[in-house]
Amino acid sequence: MSKHQPPLREGARLSRLIAGRDLAAALDSSIAPVVLIASLLLVNTAFMNGFFLHGRVEMSSFFQAMPLFLAVFLPALSMRLFAEEHKTRTIEVLFSLPISPREAVLGKYLAALGLFVLFLLGTLPIPGLLLVMGEPDLGAIVSGYLGVFLIGAELLALGVLASAITSDQIVAFIAAAAPGATLVLLGDFRVKRVLDGLTASQSLGTDIASWISPLPVFEELLRGVVGVSSLIHFGAFTAFFLWAAAQRLDRKNA
Amino acid sequence: MWILRSIQWGARGPVESASARCYKSDAKRGAARRRAKERHNERQATGFKSTPLTPPPSSSKTVDPMIRVVDVTKSYGDTVAVQGVSFDVAAGEVVGFLGPNGAGKSTLLKMISTWHSPDRGKIQVAGFDTTEAPLAVRQNLGYLPEHNALWDTMTVDRLLRFIGTMRGLSGAQLAQRRAWVVDRCKLSSVLQKRVNECSKGFRQRIGVAGALLHDPPVVLLDEPTHGLDPMQVVAFRDFIRELATMPITSGSAAGTAGRAVLFSSHILAEVAAISDRILVIREGKLLLDERTEVLKDRAAAKNTTLEELVVGQMAAQGKEVGK
Repeated sequence: MSKHQPPLREGARLSRLIAGRDLAAALDSSIAPVVLIASLLLVNTAFMNGFFLHGRVEMSSFFQAMPLFLAVFLPALSMRLFAEEHKTRTIEVLFSLPISPREAVLGKYLAALGLFVLFLLGTLPIPGLLLVMGEPDLGAIVSGYLGVFLIGAELLALGVLASAITSDQIVAFIAAAAPGATLVLLGDFRVKRVLDGLTASQSLGTDIASWISPLPVFEELLRGVVGVSSLIHFGAFTAFFLWAAAQRLDRKNA
Repeated sequence: MWILRSIQWGARGPVESASARCYKSDAKRGAARRRAKERHNERQATGFKSTPLTPPPSSSKTVDPMIRVVDVTKSYGDTVAVQGVSFDVAAGEVVGFLGPNGAGKSTLLKMISTWHSPDRGKIQVAGFDTTEAPLAVRQNLGYLPEHNALWDTMTVDRLLRFIGTMRGLSGAQLAQRRAWVVDRCKLSSVLQKRVNECSKGFRQRIGVAGALLHDPPVVLLDEPTHGLDPMQVVAFRDFIRELATMPITSGSAAGTAGRAVLFSSHILAEVAAISDRILVIREGKLLLDERTEVLKDRAAAKNTTLEELVVGQMAAQGKEVGK
């Protein structure tokens, strides 16, 4: 392994350089800014609509809508990461440089994560408005944002994997959005109930949801329960998707 | 002198060592013939054909080869792209890789650059194995891929800085190397332009600049003159020749007298104008490995053109391969 990868510190330097280049390229292109702005308009408008209709000084409806929204929105940010490099053949130039697939994947993942953080920063007017209008539960807002960040990080890692598989951005989008939405929906109580009813044990849906869906863990965070198991769940899935992307890019394993 | 050359030549790949057999001294001729026959039989078994009774290269280089390709085979599904190819390239040597489209030139260069792995055989660059130590190989390699893809939205200056920093250059060293490639590749007028605003010729030069930025001891160029106008082609040929003899000033190979340059083309005149040696590949098999001057002499002796000689030899070898 060490023969194929630079030392950790050098690897981190290379990943940072790739992240910086990719973030600049994404902001320079038309797709990422348009997706970011459109998404921000959508979520802010949707929240304001609900806020003025119900007059509640809290963000729970906003956070509950985020997992499914992110499952569709984040693939639009991640689809170009490797698919674009494959399509334009710059992937060959990238891997003529002394980097391993691990550094490349991490660098591109960090760039996508940077865009996602920009999106989250764009939603800050919502808690800002709540602070002006009343006294919201700041703990719930912070743990909600943590949950959104973690579920987004996992879905982005899935997007990186999808982008590493294909040279077509549309295919990369679908390959990330479809399983991402499925993972989220498997945790929905209605889907769980249907799946539970399909087997004699009456717990198939619940078992699947507890193992692979990020939704139950996310909902725990919304309730203010920040447990180690939650962090392990998101960390493990994120690491697995990134590892799989690096394996896919390693030509010897292709 | 001939004996010395033959011994050096004999240490090379199978094509060369076989082709050297008629130049051994009388005392060693019998043993050499036996060895050559054994190797010839071995090659027949792998479908590898030698160049018939050609003299060894008159290279005076005695250093270890910077590129060593040994019995390399690569397939994509049912298609065999490269089959049992062996050759060496020494420091200071310019070797031209000639063959029609789809012959396997780019596949071999991709394998040498570590982008693809051989299914069988070994490739070493600057002493490092491409599958065992790909990062060390890339550190010692400057590579201009086919199609010369570049990150289009970056300015030329930012692109060169990015490649330089990725290669571990920084501060004064990066500034010095950047200034050198900008000067040699004549890029000063487009430095602040985006890559996608540059002409095809400039893009090719930007690719070459990126490949040479870290002063590599081994340079691979896949169709390097593609897209250049005739004036640029002539200047570029001179540049490649100069590149091979220019001492390396930085990196782990600092002090090495000259680079190993391996470039591909499907234009014989171009290969003949630049190379010390010509490798001809067709249908994934190496048909010819010969010094350019020898081929030119042979063409002159037969009162024919180099093109006719090489095409004739390719046709003859092709028939043997097809048997």
